[in-house]
Amino acid sequence: MSHVAIVGVGQTPYRRSHPDKSSRELIWWAAKEALNDAGLGIDAIDVIIAGVAPDALAGEVAVDRTGMMGVGKPFIRVNTGGVTGSSAVFAGASYIKARRAKAVLVFALERMGQATSSQQVFNTIFDPVYEKDFPLTTITMAALRASMLMRLYGYTPRHWAEIAARNAQAARKNPLAHLHNDITPEDVLRSPLLAWPIHRYEACPMSEGACAMVLVDKSMVGKRKPAWIQGAASTSDCYAMGDRIRREGATLVDLLSLSMSAKRAYADAGVTNPVKEIRVAELYSAFSSAEAMAYPALGFCTSADGPRFVEAQATDKSLPVFNPSGGPQGANPVSATAMVRIAEAALQVRQMAGERQVDGVERAVATGQGGATQFSTVCVVGAKPNT
Amino acid sequence: MTDKRPDVYIEGIAIDIGWADATRSLTELIFSTTRRAIDDGGKSLDTVDSVVLAAHDMVDGRSLSSMVTGPAAGAYLRDETRYSDDGAAAFAAAVTRIEAGESTRSIVAAWARASEHDVEAVARATFDSFFAGPFGIDELQAAAMRAQAWIRLGGDVAARADAAQRRANAARANPRALKAGGRSPVASYPLKEADMPRFADVAVSLTISAEPSAVRVAGVGQSSEPYWLGDRKLGRLAGLEQAAQRALQEAGFGPAQLDVVEIDGLTLFDEAIGLEAVGMAASGTGLKFLANDPRSNPSGGAAAGYCAPAMGLARIVEAVMQLQGRAGAIQVPRARRALATGSCVVAAQTHTVVVLEAT
Amino acid sequence: MSDVELISIPGLWAFNYNYFAGQNASRFFKELKENRRIMGTRCPSCKRILVPARGFCDACMEYTTEWKEVGPEGTLETFTIVATQFPGLPKPPLVMAYVTLDGADTALINLVYGMDLSDIDAAAQKLNKLPRVTTRFVDDPKGRITDFSFQLQ
Repeated sequence: MSHVAIVGVGQTPYRRSHPDKSSRELIWWAAKEALNDAGLGIDAIDVIIAGVAPDALAGEVAVDRTGMMGVGKPFIRVNTGGVTGSSAVFAGASYIKARRAKAVLVFALERMGQATSSQQVFNTIFDPVYEKDFPLTTITMAALRASMLMRLYGYTPRHWAEIAARNAQAARKNPLAHLHNDITPEDVLRSPLLAWPIHRYEACPMSEGACAMVLVDKSMVGKRKPAWIQGAASTSDCYAMGDRIRREGATLVDLLSLSMSAKRAYADAGVTNPVKEIRVAELYSAFSSAEAMAYPALGFCTSADGPRFVEAQATDKSLPVFNPSGGPQGANPVSATAMVRIAEAALQVRQMAGERQVDGVERAVATGQGGATQFSTVCVVGAKPNT
Repeated sequence: MTDKRPDVYIEGIAIDIGWADATRSLTELIFSTTRRAIDDGGKSLDTVDSVVLAAHDMVDGRSLSSMVTGPAAGAYLRDETRYSDDGAAAFAAAVTRIEAGESTRSIVAAWARASEHDVEAVARATFDSFFAGPFGIDELQAAAMRAQAWIRLGGDVAARADAAQRRANAARANPRALKAGGRSPVASYPLKEADMPRFADVAVSLTISAEPSAVRVAGVGQSSEPYWLGDRKLGRLAGLEQAAQRALQEAGFGPAQLDVVEIDGLTLFDEAIGLEAVGMAASGTGLKFLANDPRSNPSGGAAAGYCAPAMGLARIVEAVMQLQGRAGAIQVPRARRALATGSCVVAAQTHTVVVLEAT
Repeated sequence: MSDVELISIPGLWAFNYNYFAGQNASRFFKELKENRRIMGTRCPSCKRILVPARGFCDACMEYTTEWKEVGPEGTLETFTIVATQFPGLPKPPLVMAYVTLDGADTALINLVYGMDLSDIDAAAQKLNKLPRVTTRFVDDPKGRITDFSFQLQ
């Protein structure tokens, strides 16, 4: 039963930096827009959930606290890395379902525009005892998966390039996206190699910005335009990638945590045939290979059929539309990215996505990924509450 | 589907306060504490469907530290969320999940090792770079200013030495307190050495569920204060007052009915001001209350070992031990109702209050 | 407002940490340094040999029991060829890979040598066929994970 609806969405543009805005101003900008969209003042908000991930990227340890809004509201900060934005949404929904709140404001802020050595920061996510000495970065860790996918299922560099180019072209219709590059798969393949098989144009940008949403109990929806949260689930895998390589039935590229989350979210939402019932999928895929791992985990196709599924996207209009916003390859404000995926899915369902609007979106799915695809979240939003 | 919100109970608990134990890595410390809490609860790990954590990257020294620490706290293939907030706030979030029907049994864990990180440096970094940071202010100095504001408003310091003494005695008698090592930070006026916390390595874990057991969560309240210290009335903790009112209202009784109060405070003065905030002591009399009243921080509070952001959960565990009759040498006789608090950055900006009842 | 000079203040975070490796990791490193061997530990519940050796199994939430040597040979499971310079490491291109040593149930990460990297794509084709590797220790091991690397057979 859906109790919770998204009735307000606010996003700042995502850019390399916003030098004219303090961190709190970015938070307020998104929050104010969400509140206006919802037709609510801050006084109507019962609880605030803040999502901010790596402090070292902002260079401020309690940057969320600067965005304190209203007077005397419960305020708590979640930090689950890449899934932070979705964790904040799920936590907000819990407070409503627990009847401790009727209206919750959730926000996520990424302030990495203040970082000048972000790659070193990302490197500190890895185990200082056993792994720090190796070039494990967000890029090489994706590359390790991409090569495994190529060995197992026959993906080629061309497939990675097609996904990247598709996302880039979609981002051009999204004024909020960071990158608006008119690139083709050939451009991607020609761009410098970062770590085989990943080329520069496949990597996501380092973006900063804020996203906010207003969630309400069903009794408060009234005349507002809702996107109902029909299903939401989060699962954490083990840390060590090496522990997943030979795991039976769920190797490194099988994205077990994502498929487990999808199963639970789909069950709550009543989704039984994802490829037919999901019109839009906003995926937290910072790299093309991450998108490829998501397809089977989300039940859109089998792993072996993945390459054909990528090829079919160009011609088969019955397939779900992936990342109409441009996805993380268009803008990746890390702390916010998972919330942005839900926000974009909500905008699609509410028919408020502007030039990037897809027709007839009854249901959309948004995913979140954190760590080395250790954390996975799935959120199904729909135009109607599920019964 | 019933309309009544399910009650939430605390089952297993464990706490580990130590110092620089080189035999255990951070994840091993978290694992051993969580394992003990699961065993203490007597329920199979298979029935746990949620893990809610409180920890901070800058304290743990790793970005996204929950990647390595989450699994140590039982997160493998479970729904796990890590809050970079105080342990009591994570506890509140975990309670909402059960009340929402999303979870039936949850692990809640919090940790911080003062011996592994530079506590003062991280605390300085919580203040903004433009208006406060340039003066090198940290949490202890903010607490000193709060103490000074409280004194100026008429706070009675006469019982200060007695309060510090009682606290030190309690910490010595508390079986769970830090036994050796630890570090006391430098005190800034008007605070003195005896007012300081004892920095330690703290790991706390517990399990909660909708299944009835010895201790019930009677009420939860949360609140917050403005970001800028200059926007707050520093001599009191208005946010804690509000959080306590909410929690006690939900529980259906007042502070006079409490048998034990465990206040999370960085310094002795914060503990005293906290006692006033939750309604146990009249305004200005917090230190006197702390010096004389056996209900207040029987654990020894921050003198028993302190490291943010674990302390709200540590206060909850001490309160639970009292209600279960397992507190040992510091047991408050016939404790049936307890209140525990947890406060977090910046300089006690956000607060969580939990009221517990023995069933 | 547009004529106000936008201020930004440079900042440098230099936090010092002292990470405790713990007894188990310390013993693992001691075995590298003194005996040039790689050790795993067994989980009594799922029976897996976990490498590097560790104090508990996070899948089962149980303390591990016996210590067991693994390798020195193993299988390269997945890899990447790093094209950018990383502080403290040799110049790129470098092969970084996960290797499951014989006897182990989990893989560990390290650098792999012995592949001709003058043609990256050709090298990648060869590396993507689960080649066998062997462990090679440095002359003067220090008790750190960098005491060994892998060599293609």
